[in-house]
Amino acid sequence: MIDALFEGLLLVLQWKAFAFMLLGIGLGFWVGLLPGLGGATTLALMLPFIYAMQPVEAFAFLLGMHSVVATTGDITSVLFGVPGEATAAATILDGHAMAKKGEAGRALGAALTSSLIGALVGAFALALAIPVVRPLVLTFGSPELFMVAIVGLAFIASLSAHGARGMLRGFLAGGLGLFFATVGQDPQAGIARYTLGTLYLWGGLELVPMLIGIFAIPEIIDLVVRGTSIAGDVPPGRLNKGALEGVKDTFRHFWLTIRCSLIGTFIGIMPGLGGSVAQWMAYGHATQSARNAEERKQFGAGDVRGVLGPGAANNSKEGGALIPTVAFGVPGSSAMAILLGGFFLMGLVPGPDMLTKHLAVTFSMVWTIVLANVITVVACFLFLNQLARLTAVRGHLLIPVILVLVFIGSYTANNHYGDVLVMLLFGGIGYLMVVGGWPRAPFVLGLVLGKIAENYLYISVARYEAAWLYRPVVLVLLGLALVVICYPLIQARRAGAKKDAHA
Amino acid sequence: MHSKASLGLGVGIMILSAWGVISALAWPWKAALFPLVIGIPIFCLAATEVLWVLFGSTVRGETMDFQLSTHLPEQVTLRRTALAVGWMLGFFGAIVLVSFPVAVPLFVFLYLKLQGREGWGLSLIFTVAVWALFYGLFDRLLHLPFPDGWIQTWAGLT
Amino acid sequence: MRSTLALIAVFTLMAIAPRVGEAQSSRYEGKTVTIVVGYKTGGGYDATARLLARHLPKHIPGKPTVIVQNMPGANSLIAANHVYAVAKPDGLTIGTFNRNLPIAQLIKVEGVKFDMTKFAWVGSAASESTVLAIRADLPYQSFDELRKAGKTVVIGATGPGANTYDFPLLIKELLGVNLKIVSGYSSSADIMLAIERKEVDGRAGSYTSLRPFIDRDLVRPVIRARATEAGIEQLPVDEDLAPTPRAKAIMALRSVPEVIGRPYVMPPGTPDDAVKMMREAFRNAIKDPELVAEAKKAKMALEFVSGDEALKVVKELLAQPKDVVDEFSKYIKFGE
Repeated sequence: MIDALFEGLLLVLQWKAFAFMLLGIGLGFWVGLLPGLGGATTLALMLPFIYAMQPVEAFAFLLGMHSVVATTGDITSVLFGVPGEATAAATILDGHAMAKKGEAGRALGAALTSSLIGALVGAFALALAIPVVRPLVLTFGSPELFMVAIVGLAFIASLSAHGARGMLRGFLAGGLGLFFATVGQDPQAGIARYTLGTLYLWGGLELVPMLIGIFAIPEIIDLVVRGTSIAGDVPPGRLNKGALEGVKDTFRHFWLTIRCSLIGTFIGIMPGLGGSVAQWMAYGHATQSARNAEERKQFGAGDVRGVLGPGAANNSKEGGALIPTVAFGVPGSSAMAILLGGFFLMGLVPGPDMLTKHLAVTFSMVWTIVLANVITVVACFLFLNQLARLTAVRGHLLIPVILVLVFIGSYTANNHYGDVLVMLLFGGIGYLMVVGGWPRAPFVLGLVLGKIAENYLYISVARYEAAWLYRPVVLVLLGLALVVICYPLIQARRAGAKKDAHA
Repeated sequence: MHSKASLGLGVGIMILSAWGVISALAWPWKAALFPLVIGIPIFCLAATEVLWVLFGSTVRGETMDFQLSTHLPEQVTLRRTALAVGWMLGFFGAIVLVSFPVAVPLFVFLYLKLQGREGWGLSLIFTVAVWALFYGLFDRLLHLPFPDGWIQTWAGLT
Repeated sequence: MRSTLALIAVFTLMAIAPRVGEAQSSRYEGKTVTIVVGYKTGGGYDATARLLARHLPKHIPGKPTVIVQNMPGANSLIAANHVYAVAKPDGLTIGTFNRNLPIAQLIKVEGVKFDMTKFAWVGSAASESTVLAIRADLPYQSFDELRKAGKTVVIGATGPGANTYDFPLLIKELLGVNLKIVSGYSSSADIMLAIERKEVDGRAGSYTSLRPFIDRDLVRPVIRARATEAGIEQLPVDEDLAPTPRAKAIMALRSVPEVIGRPYVMPPGTPDDAVKMMREAFRNAIKDPELVAEAKKAKMALEFVSGDEALKVVKELLAQPKDVVDEFSKYIKFGE
């Protein structure tokens, strides 16, 4: 195996493969940055171009492009509050808040460094997991995946504010998200649920326009109201020295970053959970690291941990997603499904062969992810501070550009005006939530987990009847969900007790 | 302001979930289960929130989310918010009326001139740059379908 | 005198004749032909369309650019409605959608605003063979053994309307095989993982998508639908095993669209010469050795079914008697 490891590295370092990887990185940089250019869509568009390439070159190109998308998506989230990719939405909460405080450089530094660490953990997991991946993936059946969704939903409690009122609103937001997830044709009876008689809603509500609406629109309205630049009244001198600070932050909270990377990798390994889940669970976990109520209030207002968590998770999940793709031929994400097409083009059959006969190719993929991320992060750091200066530009110049990107970003989901309307509608809802003091993160959690929870529940019951409840992993996950729900309550009580002790 | 928004959301959810539950009752149980399991509790929770807002304290719950700027007088905030919303809806209206590729430069230019009060030169250059980027990427390269606006169809142009 | 007349006739003809060809190429020269795909980028329909888009230009006089636009939504109903009513019938628009749209029209799905018979049919670029495959380590080697099985065999599916669901459903209901259909998997790839986990025992689906897993010896195909491909001809066909003519008609109804696996149409009212020319271009493009080589690499199998034949198939499908359609609707809904 060690020689396959080195062979893989040498394969990537061949000049042609390396050149293609750089090309892929260049392309992926813009794809991640711009809302409206999706990673998966662009991968599909690139497939025809790789017909003429050798396998290693093709993968260097595709993977190089793909690895970078998750990283640069965070950049638009931090700077403008617009998710460059659906997977970068959680970064907005604290990342953009930091930008508004004038700490854009720091946020970007933290996002990029945590992305790098996440990518490395994911790639590492891919390399390490190769012997254990089959039993691991096979243990997690539909009942277990349902429980993972429940654990995810349990994070709603962590993402709500403390206190009964906070919990009420958090659960309302989460419930609303779950409700919206039911729109569309259901896979059990084929009924078109809540489609209001339109064809547009048959497939359900599209995630990207909703995310763009609910996060970007309130920020844009606020920017218009303030009439200043994004960074507001912060003197411009302060903006630039942030990036290094962000890197230091990542190491200050190293174990949190690692834990969130592991969460991301794990979610990535489980196909069927969807790419957007990882960042929110990581964010929820990051908020749990707040030691008391004072610190918790900082989340959403610009706590760097809120950037580290999602930043790491959305990169590590890609490494994780490669695992079932390579080992089973089952794509771990929509981008992987397209990558799989690339496999076939190259005459490679994903499956046990990739872990034995073609181990070097698999390792070359690992190395591509590692190198592509390192190169991207280094390149971004070079002009990070210039990017941060965008937050000092007059708001009136940025707003029309942001709005154009927001509108186009929503439109390209389905090339349908309905998506733009959905974006505006949820922009309104998001605005009301912000004004009313309702948390938006639980809403997104409910939205992304709703379909998963419902489908896996039905599959579990249909297949195992009641027996699935007794499976060991299910029980462990149930316990975990209870811990996650009770954690904020325990924390609050402990803080209360400490206060009494001090009083 | 914030309690009004909270009230609005609460009432909105009550109406939505009530409608959802009633619609779901007509479906076969497999399709109706989840909507009911979710709809009924959120109706109750929303009702609780509404009652709390109407009869309870007006203390604002601290959420871990961003707070809108409060440093300006309320009148100014309201006016500017209305303006922002107006611009966005106007942009959408323009897209429907004259199609995306025409609406984009129109919107950018008007916004820069009217809201931003920028000079002619800057506005024009900026507009052209944004339009070129938009057109080059989304139309020429990606061939996204942009339907004709109503005005173009009515005038018989294509 | 007669020879002069003849000479004049010949010269006149010589003057006009190139015009006819020119009329064709001038229609397309410098223009862009758009293929509207009813699905998002990355799916099977989209991949086929993009492959064709790359090779069509050289077979169309005037060598226009051919681009692909995606108009996903409602399992391509939105795209079909668009090409039917909104797109201009000037020969520059082609649509490709869900092969099951004739069924949507037949069972009167709400929102169908087109009539499949009125489209100007170009043809179909492939036929899709559906098979049911079960885990290779199960003791059932053939369909007969499966039928006689005592234990319930669990089949994973994505949802009603997809062939993962419909094909085994009919086998269960009409052929009386002891199958349990567990639906809700988010994609057919997820079902394969469930098969590996022994959570389900098999799945139905297109032969192309199951091929890698069959070759890997994970699953074994036991029965197929009407359309056939190399490698599965010897499998029993579900229709042949139907106990009653009604059952056979219902199975046939489900299977028929597979013959026009990748339908390509132009808006109703497109001039006949444009349609004729496009049919020729499609036929030649699909036979083009470069396209064949690319398709082989991408593991796509294209074969041309003529527009007339496709239209015939559609008309037959839509002419089914009401009682067959009613019973059919009891089982089959429109979905993927």
